[in-house]
Amino acid sequence: MAADRKRVAGPESSVAPLVEYPIDYQSWTPFTEKRHDSHRQPEDLRPIYLKTGLISEANGSAYIELEKTKLTCGVYGPRPVKRAGQGFSDKGTLNCEIKFATFSCVKRRGTMRDAQEKELSQILSQGLTPAVRLELFPKSNVDIYITVLESDGWGSCIAAAFTVASVALAHAGIEMLDLVAGCSASYIPTSIPSSSTSESTSASSEGTGAGSITPQIFMDADLEEEKFQQGSIVLAYMPSLNQTTHVLQTGKAEGAIISQSVEHCVEACNKIFAVMNHALLESIDQK
Amino acid sequence: MATPAFTFTPSTFQKLHPAEFFRRFTTEGVRPDGRLLDAFRPTTVHHGVISTANGSAMVRIGGTTVVCGVKAEVAEPKLDAPDQGYLVPNVELSPMCSSKFRPGPPSEQAQAVSEAINRVLKESKVLDLKDLCIEEGKAVWVLYVDAVCVAYDGNIFDAALAAIMAALNNVRIRKPTYQEGTIKVSGGSTATDENSFTLKLARTPLSATFAIFDTTLTILADPNVTEETISDGQISIALDETGQLCGVTKIGAASCSQSAMKDCVQSAKKRTQQLRNIMNQQ
Repeated sequence: MAADRKRVAGPESSVAPLVEYPIDYQSWTPFTEKRHDSHRQPEDLRPIYLKTGLISEANGSAYIELEKTKLTCGVYGPRPVKRAGQGFSDKGTLNCEIKFATFSCVKRRGTMRDAQEKELSQILSQGLTPAVRLELFPKSNVDIYITVLESDGWGSCIAAAFTVASVALAHAGIEMLDLVAGCSASYIPTSIPSSSTSESTSASSEGTGAGSITPQIFMDADLEEEKFQQGSIVLAYMPSLNQTTHVLQTGKAEGAIISQSVEHCVEACNKIFAVMNHALLESIDQK
Repeated sequence: MATPAFTFTPSTFQKLHPAEFFRRFTTEGVRPDGRLLDAFRPTTVHHGVISTANGSAMVRIGGTTVVCGVKAEVAEPKLDAPDQGYLVPNVELSPMCSSKFRPGPPSEQAQAVSEAINRVLKESKVLDLKDLCIEEGKAVWVLYVDAVCVAYDGNIFDAALAAIMAALNNVRIRKPTYQEGTIKVSGGSTATDENSFTLKLARTPLSATFAIFDTTLTILADPNVTEETISDGQISIALDETGQLCGVTKIGAASCSQSAMKDCVQSAKKRTQQLRNIMNQQ
């Protein structure tokens, strides 16, 4: 970690202590046929709390909470582009910046933006740009700043970022073709791989590309569940137009599973769309 | 012939002559947002809001919201203080909370507020750093106290200091064991008084900030962002629970009389007592 002369300095380097679990400690595994939160079914999303208008200085703002995932978003714009010498552009630009607070993850994060955050910012821009009517504000820029206060699951964080950014953009009065809802799903094996399992296991394990066990699709997985995932998918979707703006798939899964998870995500995005509309209608009542 | 009169709507007048617009209110003893000159905005404090942090709190003073999280890590102590840990407070003013702040390294204001709070915590010896020792000369706790401003509407100093003190009160760290150069803590079961410890704070300084207007000799309590911009200077007074001064920070080029200073200290005593009640209630 480079010495940051502009902040109150701590020691040059520090580490988190090693966590030792007692011998009889039972941590959650997917092989118990239940989710980490036992009240949820595999297709259930976490309840969403969405509110607008928390940042008075911003043109638009929103706050989202999915139990332990908390994000705030502030939107500024359209404002004139600083460097006018870059030439005339007849379309506006969207600039997304996401930052994880140092205390938001189990391991403390650095204060400077790292490569992961820069990549996420790019992903967000790519997912939101198709929905915004950029041609209405030439030579201008819209800045979207997101701070993750607490993170419980990487996929749910990205999905929540799409959702909260769309609501904040709508709250700012920026014209859009549609709201963008984000949803994540994980492929988690729920049966213990052993020789006593059916022959299909041994047959498919010789094949390439196919997983030895058919993983189950868990919607909106949290941090504990993600530790066991074989792969995951994050979908950014425009519900009214029935168009996907961004897909982020990692890990391995069969084609059939991926198509199925995309369908589940689309269904979930429609539910999230209702929550987003409700939050925006509430904000109009407040005004 | 009568000269034509210039009339503006209030919002236009505010943009063209902000200082004059403001003066029209203060001469009547109120402010544009309806508060009296010595009134503080409604304040709320929430404890333990971030589960990934060792301690956390969220403070809202009017439109200013600050979330503070404390993370504890292990490091080697300094050579000249082998039994003392580290307390590292920092205030983040990101471009999300206001358009005044640009993306990039901390602005001057953020650096100034961080340094001022660091001074209050260190000089008034809020925490005995020897309590953070694990193994003398080998391993000590580092408490990274990061206050993130989520929404900015003036008076960041009060909100940040209150959030930091509430978060420090909320800290719970697992008891460590030192084994051949590695620090281990127990995981799993919920944190209890047996397997974890809280911090013993010698005192809890809380502050009250006032904006000073040179020309009109007015002092306003708890300035919001518009009042901050047009003020000539600000003074922040930090007091602990016994009413002793823990730090006075004055920024800007304003001057104020001795009697005005005394009034500020009296007002700060009342305000910090009120803040303490709010903090202890929740």
